Formats: sequence, structure tokens, C-alpha cells
Amino acid sequence: MDWKGYTAIYVVLFTFATAQAVVEFAGLVDSAYWAAFALIMVLSVVKAVGVAAYYQHLRWEPRAVTYLVLGGTVAALALTGAAAYSIL
Amino acid sequence: MSHDHGLPPKSSVSRWFLTTNHKDIGVLYLITALFFLVFGGTLALLFRLELISSGADLLGSMGYNQAVSTHGLLMVFWFISPFAFGFANYVVPLQIGADDLAFPRLNALSYWLYLFSGILMGVSFFQGTTFAGGWTMYAPLNTPAYIPGEGLGATSVVLALIMFTAAVTLGSVNFLTTMYRMRAEGLRMRDIPIFSLSINLTVWMMLFAFAALLAALMILASDHILGTTYFQYSIDGTTMATDADNPGASLLWAHLFWFFGHPEVYIVFFPALGVMAECFQTFTGRRLVGRKWFIISMVLVALQSFVVWMHHMFLTGINLPIKTIFMATTIGISLPFDLMVFSLIYTMAKGRVRFTTPFLFSLGALILFIIGGITGVFLGAIVLDYQFRGTYWVVAHFHYVMVAGATALFGGLYYWYPKITGKMYNERLGKIQFGVYFLGFNLLYFPMFIAWETPRRVFVYPDGLQIWHTMATVGGFILGASFLIMFYNLFVSLWRGEDVGPNPWEYATSAEWAVSSPPPLENFPGVPSYATGKLEFLDDETVVERTERAPGAAAHGHAATDGGTATDGGAVTARAATTATAMESAHEVSGEEHANHASFWPFLVSLGGFITFLGLSGVRTGSVFYLTMAAAGGVATIGSLVGMTREPFHAPEMAIAERWPFERVEKMKLGMWTFLASDIVLFGAFIGSYAFVRVAYGWTAWHHDLIPAEHVTMPGLINTYLLLTSSFLVVLAMVAAERESKRGTVAALAGTFALGVGFLINKGLEWNHLFHISTETFPSGWNLSTNIASSTFYLTTGLHGAHVTIGLIICAYMTVRAWNGAYQGDDRAIEYFGLYWHFVDIVWLFLFPLFYIL
Ligand code: HEM
Ligand SMILES: [Cu+2]
Repeated sequence: MDWKGYTAIYVVLFTFATAQAVVEFAGLVDSAYWAAFALIMVLSVVKAVGVAAYYQHLRWEPRAVTYLVLGGTVAALALTGAAAYSIL
Repeated sequence: MSHDHGLPPKSSVSRWFLTTNHKDIGVLYLITALFFLVFGGTLALLFRLELISSGADLLGSMGYNQAVSTHGLLMVFWFISPFAFGFANYVVPLQIGADDLAFPRLNALSYWLYLFSGILMGVSFFQGTTFAGGWTMYAPLNTPAYIPGEGLGATSVVLALIMFTAAVTLGSVNFLTTMYRMRAEGLRMRDIPIFSLSINLTVWMMLFAFAALLAALMILASDHILGTTYFQYSIDGTTMATDADNPGASLLWAHLFWFFGHPEVYIVFFPALGVMAECFQTFTGRRLVGRKWFIISMVLVALQSFVVWMHHMFLTGINLPIKTIFMATTIGISLPFDLMVFSLIYTMAKGRVRFTTPFLFSLGALILFIIGGITGVFLGAIVLDYQFRGTYWVVAHFHYVMVAGATALFGGLYYWYPKITGKMYNERLGKIQFGVYFLGFNLLYFPMFIAWETPRRVFVYPDGLQIWHTMATVGGFILGASFLIMFYNLFVSLWRGEDVGPNPWEYATSAEWAVSSPPPLENFPGVPSYATGKLEFLDDETVVERTERAPGAAAHGHAATDGGTATDGGAVTARAATTATAMESAHEVSGEEHANHASFWPFLVSLGGFITFLGLSGVRTGSVFYLTMAAAGGVATIGSLVGMTREPFHAPEMAIAERWPFERVEKMKLGMWTFLASDIVLFGAFIGSYAFVRVAYGWTAWHHDLIPAEHVTMPGLINTYLLLTSSFLVVLAMVAAERESKRGTVAALAGTFALGVGFLINKGLEWNHLFHISTETFPSGWNLSTNIASSTFYLTTGLHGAHVTIGLIICAYMTVRAWNGAYQGDDRAIEYFGLYWHFVDIVWLFLFPLFYIL
């Protein structure tokens, strides 16, 4: 990827971060907490995938590297999800 | 030229401090682990003496608790896995056809960190008392407020475990990179010898499980040293669930610990399984029956091991549906084990058994494991566990499984002894030891099933059970005595043993038996290859010829680094690099030119780490002694790390190798990604802990009750911008380096550095403000100890800040190097740094909303 591509990604990341703060400043977190929660987390996930895919070049590595990363992520999510569920 | 890689001879003491060779390090691991076996074993004999009769009249109550706790920790952490990794170090590179591990100095570093972490354990006894709350270290008894006295020894234990975990993580990264980048040509993953395969799965589990343990330990250390309050609660009402300020405290520890703890039992057992399978094959002269299914079973168990942990929590307040799910997964995990057991039994039935010492130990291990496994299934049933939990049934169960593992490993010691020493041990004494060992073992642990009503970890028990406990104590001493025979045998055989050739065992087929005993420093007389279906050693010319023909075979990685557009230019570079690497290793092989593989730095780094940690254990007392030690140790560690980085050390990639599924991922890059995968789990566990205690408290009430209005979004948003921009600059630095623009590279790296520093300054200002607020709810500031929300906020973002700081040190170093002209036309180093830096960025992308918005 050349610098133009990287710049485009950067602009997107910047915008999404701002959007997250806007959700809060607009008062959505107070009025509709879980909707705001979902929206903000989805934005974070999209940003993270963008950084991993383009800045860390996962898109161009063998799939196995992505699986390695997903392995760690799934382990962490399993721990978090199951532990939190166990006390609901 | 000699083949010494710059190392002094084995008879010289300095050799053992300088070595980075996998065989030397394997031997160091074996000896050190046996030392910890004796250490932990002596403690066990002490408290078995105590238990001859009910009551603590010999060691005293605190003495008893310390002995039991330390015994457990030493055996589980400092003996059994390191013992297995002694073999792994020695044997795996030989079995897969590599000349060493991928990162030899890192391997030495793992060993020294391990040794020093063990020494720190020992030192903790001299800081008043050592940790006495049981090896599972349940909360809140693991926090200073609940530990008698100053509790500095307990802090040292936590820090020793952190150091140990660091060693394990480096080791996992190293082994995985080795096994995916350095297999002999033609050796597919599924074809590597079963012991190496078991180690491969073990390190996969280690990579993720120990990361969760590291999170638990770092949080605990922070509770000890910094005063956060993750694992404590104060109760001011009637029921804990609603009135405590941190109701999730003790369950949080249980979740983190057992998420690690259950995979850990397979981490302990898998290498043993590998040894058993090797010995069964060699001494029955048969290939493992159903090898393919055996392997599939191991893979299944490795995966499932991460979803059974709550069977250790059946008696806690977790809800019934989740208990039921975990009962099902637990019973599910015993099924693949049945398959493996049957496979071993059939192998034996179909082959012609030769009852050598290693075989006897392997067979004994199988029998013990079957008993241990069956009794474990009892515990996996919720209703039965309500009875058995916290009794000697559990003690008997896990000793039957864990020590069954150790039994197989002792078999491994006899099995590989001739390979390692070039001498044969005394077979008669070996068999005698097995007899005494097996008798002692069963006399020690079987009565515990009968006396199962004895409460675990307690020194009083009902009178009627005394006979069984006396029996167990006698068994313990018999078991201990069997080791005297073993040590005598192995020691004396070093001189008196018969010399052995490459293969003293008729039917052993794996590659370590194809070279002399002990093998030469560089392992093989040429580049190993299985291309024709059997092991051959290629000479220089063949290697060069083959790499010429197939430029993709080696060092291909960096053609695809920047975005993967493998242009013609890229292909040409790759080809040139390939040939260069091929020539290089061809020279290595013929011994014309030897890289120096002696390094003192791993030892120094670890020594520095040891001093730092010992200092840290006492800083909360404000003692000048401890503070000085922490500071001096820190300087020594960082200094040694810089020294290690600057030391020229060359371990080229193999010219031809089998690398599925990471063909195009150069070894440094693969090492970095593997490390990052474990870092994901580390941060994941931190974030998971936050989510857990927040759910326990009440997710939405949290923000209102515990967080001051002064904690606003803006500083977080600014820091998000700073980090995103710095990530952008790192990729620009790569682009500049590739275009050979030195100015561009330096500017982009310096910009990254500046933004990172800005991030830290902004954070410092924010923290300082919050520390000193004075409001109605928080009259004396909002600091680390104020409440559970402040603890999670400072510690999680603090861990992230520490990652930023480390990144900045590396970035500063690279900026200077770029200034001096480095990286032009070869942006790989910047790319690897970038992988880390972007990861730190990604973590922040989640911390920002979780800690600033939601
Ligand atoms: C055959 C499959 C197995 C099953 C179904 C099983 C089941 C269990 C269960 C349910 C417990 C919790 C008991 C309690 O605390 O109430 C337990 C404890 C334990 N198991 Fe196993 N287990 C199995 C295999 C193993 C293996 C292979 C090892 C080690 C090599 C092992 C080591 C342990 C240890 C160390 C504990 C005690 C943990 C503590 O200190 O509380 N188990 N097992
Ligand atoms: Cu378990």
C-alpha cells in the first residue's frame, strides 16, 4: 500500500474516533445507554480491524497469522463472556 | 576452524553462563528442575511427618501452611514443566531437524529468568514468612490485608511467579517460531515425532494460558505494591453480594486463576504423554496405533482445555446453568483422553514389549493416569463435587494425574540419558528404582482416597483416619528414597556407564537417534531433509542448487512485507536474500565461518530483574534498602537489555525448511505476532477483569456511584488522536525507508516519538488532576485505592501506558539508528516495531470508550 492508501485509512480512523465522542456529547449515552454502547463498541471494532488489516498488513499475510490473532481474541472473549455470565 | 561457536568447553564453568545452545540449556533446565524437585519434595516430607498424627505440633500452624503452599507452587511451576522443557529444549530441535531454537539468546534468557524466579521463591522464606495461602492463592487471602505480618515474603512469591511467567512466555514464542520456521525439508507438521508434537500443543496452550495468569499476577502484585483493591472488599451491610464495595473480588481471582489453571494441568501432562508415546513406540517396536486419532485427540483436548475451568468453581456462587455447561464440557474432555489411552494400550498389545526402565516408567504412568482420570470424572459431576470439594479426594486425584505425568518424565530421563551423556545407565538399578517408586507412590497416594474425608490443606483430621495418614507418610519416604537410587545410578553411570553409539534403542526412529551421542554442537552433518521420504543430510552444493531452483523456499518473507505487492523488484530481492542465506548456512554447515553464540547478557538481564523484583517486594514499607535495590536493579536490567540489543548475534534462517502455514512470515515477524497474540490475552484479561467486577457491582450504577464528574471524555479523546496519528507516522516511516529517504524516515520516527511523549504527558496531567480533586463524594481525591472503579481505571490504562513507554524506548533507539543511516531500502525492523506500536494503538481504541465514555 502506498502513502495515499494509508492516509485514507487514517482519515477514517480519525473520523470514527470523533464519532464516538459525538455520541457521548450528544447525550445518547444518558438517554439510550445500551444503544450508545452498541454503537460505540462497533465503531471501536471497525477501527481495530482497520488498523490490523492495513497498518499491520494482516490483509496481505498468510491467513494463519490472522487465525493466530483471532485465537488470542477468542480466548480473551471467552474468559470475559463466560465469567460475566456466571454471575448474572 | 573449530565448531565451538565461540563457547568455552563444557568442562569450564563459564561455558554454562555463556551458552545459548539448546542442548546445553536443556541440560541446565533438567538439573535445575531436579533441584526444585528435591526442594519441594523435602517440604512435602516435612508436612507428611506433621500429618502422622493430627495437629500442628512439629512445624507449627504457620510453618505447616507455608510448607504446603510452597510445595504446591514449586512442584507445579518450578519442577514439572521446566523438567519437561529440559527435554523439549534438548530434543525438539533434533527431532525436527533444526540446528537450534529460532532465538537462541532468548532461550538462554528464559532459562535464567526461570532460575532467578526460583531463587526469589527461596529468598521469600527469609522475609519473615513466605506465602501461606495455598498454591491456588485464593482471594482475599492473597492480599496484604489478610496476610499475617508484613507479608513481604508473599509479595516476593507473586513477583517470582511473574518472573517465571515471563520466562514461559518467551519460551512459548521461541518454540512456536522454531517449529513453524525450522522443520527439515519434507517434514509436515503432522509427521513430526509425537514428543515434538506434544510440545507444540503444550506451548500453544502456554502462550494463552500463561498470559491470563500473568494478568492475574500483575493485578495481584499491584494490589500488594500499588494499593489497588481488585481482590479485596470491605463489607458494611448484611449480605456480601449487595453491600460490599467490590462484590466480584474473590470470584475474579478464581476465574482468572482457573482459566489458566485447567489448561495448566494439560500443559503439565502433554509432554509426559509425548514421552509415553515415544517410549511405547520404541519399546514395542510398533508405530503408535491410530496415530492420526491420537493427534486429533490431543488437538481437541488442547482446545477444550480452555472451556472447562469452572469445574473448579462448583462450590462458589456462580449460577447453576453455567455450572451445568461446564460439567458437560468437563465430561466431554475426558473422551479424547480415553482414545489416547486405548491407543497406547493397543500399541502395547500389538507389539513385542521390551521391559526396559523407560518403558516401565511409561507403563506405570499410564496405569496411574487411568486411576487419576477416572477419579477426576467423579469430581466433574456437580453433585459429587459438592461432597468431594476441599477433601483429600481431590488431593489424591490430582496427584495421581500430575505425578503420573512426572512418572513418564522420569522415564524420559532414562530414555534420553544415553543420548545426552553418551553413556548407558545401569538397567538393573533403574528397574529397582521403578519398583520402589511405584510402591512408594501408591502407598503414599492411594490411602488418600480412603481417607478422603480429611479436609484438604488442614493439619487436623478425624482420629479414625490416622492409620491411613501414617501409611501415606511411610509411602512418601519410600518414594523419596527411590530418588536416591536414581541419582546414584545416573551420577555414577557418567563414569562407569558403557559408551553408547547413536542409537542404543533398537527401534527408536526419530532424528535425535541418527546423530552421535551426545550430538555435535551444530547437531547434523549437513542440512537435514526428508524430501525423499527418509532422513538425509544435504551438502553445501545441493543446498545452493536447490535454493537457486526454488527462490521461494527461504527468506521469502520480506518480499511481501509492505503490503504484499510482490513486484518483480521484490521477487529479485527475495531471490538474492535466499541465495545469501543459503550460502551463509552452507558455510555454517561446513564450519568455515562460525557466528559467535556466546552471550553473557541473558544472565545479566535476569540478575537485574531478580534484584528489581526483590526490591519491589519491600517498597511499600518505604524502606531505603528496598527502594535502592529496586532502582539499582531497574537500571541494571535496562542497561543489560541495551547491551543485549547491541551485541552482534547472528542466527540465520535455515536455507531450506518446511514452514507450513507460515511460509511467508519471516521468523522475527512470526515471533512478534506470536508474542502479540499472548499480549492480546493479557490485555483481554485486564479488560475482562474490569468488565467482571463492573458486572458484579452493577454495570450502570458503577459510573454514577464510583466515578467523579471530573473524570471527563476530553483527555481520552485527545490521546486517541495522538496515538492514531503516531500509528500513521509509523507506516509513513516504512514508506520513507523503502524509498530510501533518510530524512523522511527520521522525521516520521521522531514524530512518532513526540506524539507518544505527548500521550504520556496528557495522561500524567489527567491523573494528577484526578488524584487531587476534592468533591463531596471524593473529598480526598480519586486515587488508586479510592474504590474498585479507580483501581481498574488506573491499572488498566497504566498497563497500557507502560506499553507505550516501552514502545517509546524502542522508537528512540530506532530514530537514532535511522539518523545514522539504518533501514534504508529495508524497512523490516520498522515494520516489526510498527506491529507492536499499532497493537498498543488498538488496545487504546477499546480502553478509550470503556473507561471514558461508557
Ligand atoms: C480426565 C480428566 C480430568 C477430569 C475430569 C478432572 C476433573 C477435575 C475436577 C472437577 C477438579 C476439581 C475438584 C475440586 O476442587 O473439587 C480437579 C482438580 C484437579 N485436577 Fe483434575 N481432572 C482431570 C484430569 C487432570 C489432569 C490430567 C491433571 C494434571 C495433570 C489434573 C490436575 C488437577 C489438579 C492439580 C486439581 C486440583 C486443583 C486444586 O488445587 O484445587 N486433573 N480435576
Ligand atoms: Cu480442571
